[in-house]
Amino acid sequence: MTTHSKIRCSLRRFGLVGGIAIAAVFAGPTSAHKDPVKQEQLKLYQEVFMEEVRKGDLLFHGDQKMAEQLGVADDLSKTGMACAMCHPMASDTHPQSFPKFQAQIAKFATLRDMINWCIEKPNQGVKIDPESEAMKALEAYITWSNTGSVLQPGKF
Amino acid sequence: MSDELDRIRREMHSVLQPEGVRPDDSLKITRRTFIHGSLVFGAATVGQAFAWWPLLNTLDIAHAAETPFKFAWISDTHLYPRSLNTRFVDKVVRAAQEVQAMDPPADFLIFGGDLAQLGKIEELELGVDLLKEIKIPKHYIPGEHDWYLDMGKKWGELFGQPNWTFDHKGVRFIGLDTVSRGPDYWTAKNMTPEERMGHMATLDGTVAGPWAGVGRDQLDWMEKTLADWDKQRPVVIFSHNPLYEYYPPWNFWVRDWREVHEVLKPYAKVTNIHGHVHQVLYNEIGTLRSIGMLATSWPWPYAPEGLPKLTKPMIRVDPGDPYDGVGWSKIDVAANDQLETEYIMWGRKEVFVQSPEDHDKHVSEVIRPRIADNMWPYR
Ligand SMILES: [Fe+2]
Ligand SMILES: [Fe+2]
Repeated sequence: MTTHSKIRCSLRRFGLVGGIAIAAVFAGPTSAHKDPVKQEQLKLYQEVFMEEVRKGDLLFHGDQKMAEQLGVADDLSKTGMACAMCHPMASDTHPQSFPKFQAQIAKFATLRDMINWCIEKPNQGVKIDPESEAMKALEAYITWSNTGSVLQPGKF
Repeated sequence: MSDELDRIRREMHSVLQPEGVRPDDSLKITRRTFIHGSLVFGAATVGQAFAWWPLLNTLDIAHAAETPFKFAWISDTHLYPRSLNTRFVDKVVRAAQEVQAMDPPADFLIFGGDLAQLGKIEELELGVDLLKEIKIPKHYIPGEHDWYLDMGKKWGELFGQPNWTFDHKGVRFIGLDTVSRGPDYWTAKNMTPEERMGHMATLDGTVAGPWAGVGRDQLDWMEKTLADWDKQRPVVIFSHNPLYEYYPPWNFWVRDWREVHEVLKPYAKVTNIHGHVHQVLYNEIGTLRSIGMLATSWPWPYAPEGLPKLTKPMIRVDPGDPYDGVGWSKIDVAANDQLETEYIMWGRKEVFVQSPEDHDKHVSEVIRPRIADNMWPYR
């Protein structure tokens, strides 16, 4: 690694023994294979996340094309109701309060449970697979919208 | 609160709320249970909201309404075609039956806009059909959902001029069009009428922008309309959007509220009744008081900031009950010009919050605007 070699070069001045010892601490054992995180990686991870936020945003606002793309067009709503009609800017979704006892479902519930409840009851649709991309995208959009909210787990 | 919003809010107060200026006290908001011993709560967030709630009484006034009467308000029915959504239809049927059953009957009905959801001919005609149940005179103003598919063509054919005025038993009534003057966001992007409507029909959309406004031409019209009216006599103004600034990102305002208040300033008893917010709302700006009405379709949550201090918030609703948090309103005009608004919120004995836990902002949140409607590759 460029950084490592630079440090090693400058340390050489302090004598061979000390130089080797310090270099070992910085570089780790020869069998190690982990690299430090790179800016390009972080950018890529963020892009993956924001792409799911974008998809979730569209699903949340009733975008039919995105619902078709993710295979949930017949499920999310059968009344023309979209999530955003009761939750503009994802307000009152309270992802920061889950998991909690959810009175409407009468059980201890996760955000995904509540999303499915809203799909089934107000939207009169059909529950979607909790592991599906559509569900994860909705979760991504809702939590991203609440970026500034403080965790209040359990609060009803 | 953002710096910009804070600045505007402070300006609104210094311009319109000079010390000692208040509307006269001839207004009452009730749900029978309104005068309730619950004006003060422990929690600062909710308690603060009540700090300025006016204690209601009546004043002697020089000119009274000639005889007491009632009128009714329905708005924000957001009808889809009957084949898609029957719940919205059922709720309009119920509101219409209840208005028609009023005894003594209301003198007239105001329909406050957002009759249709996507401005379709079929949706608007369905609305007309359902409201035929009501036999008293009906006056309509448009909402944004009625307008932006065909730019008001069908609405105009059905209901005529979107702004109007009439006098009734000593009160001057004015209906305003606060929706049709939105900035053109569609031509440059070559949008279809459906795409244009889609952006307009999304409350938290970022594309349609600050579309709510009265417009210079209509302000001039209102000024002329009021010119011959005694400044001490009551004026009631109907508009789809509130005539002050509550929360611009959702067009819970008109962008030219300053000019509106310039025109209304000389009149001592002006009441604005508006839709669009789908929630209980009360505010006073200078001598103007403003009351927000319930939708029949669904309730909007209170905005993240800007809720008027004078508003006693409505109760947190049960999302599992399509009849909760929605309804219609009765307005009584008494001989002393006292206006009494009664929210008919279906299935609720208590319309207003009864404890801090009953406020929809009980779980605190910090939220931000959506992004996907303004970014490539969105059509
Ligand atoms: Fe509406
Ligand atoms: Fe509206």
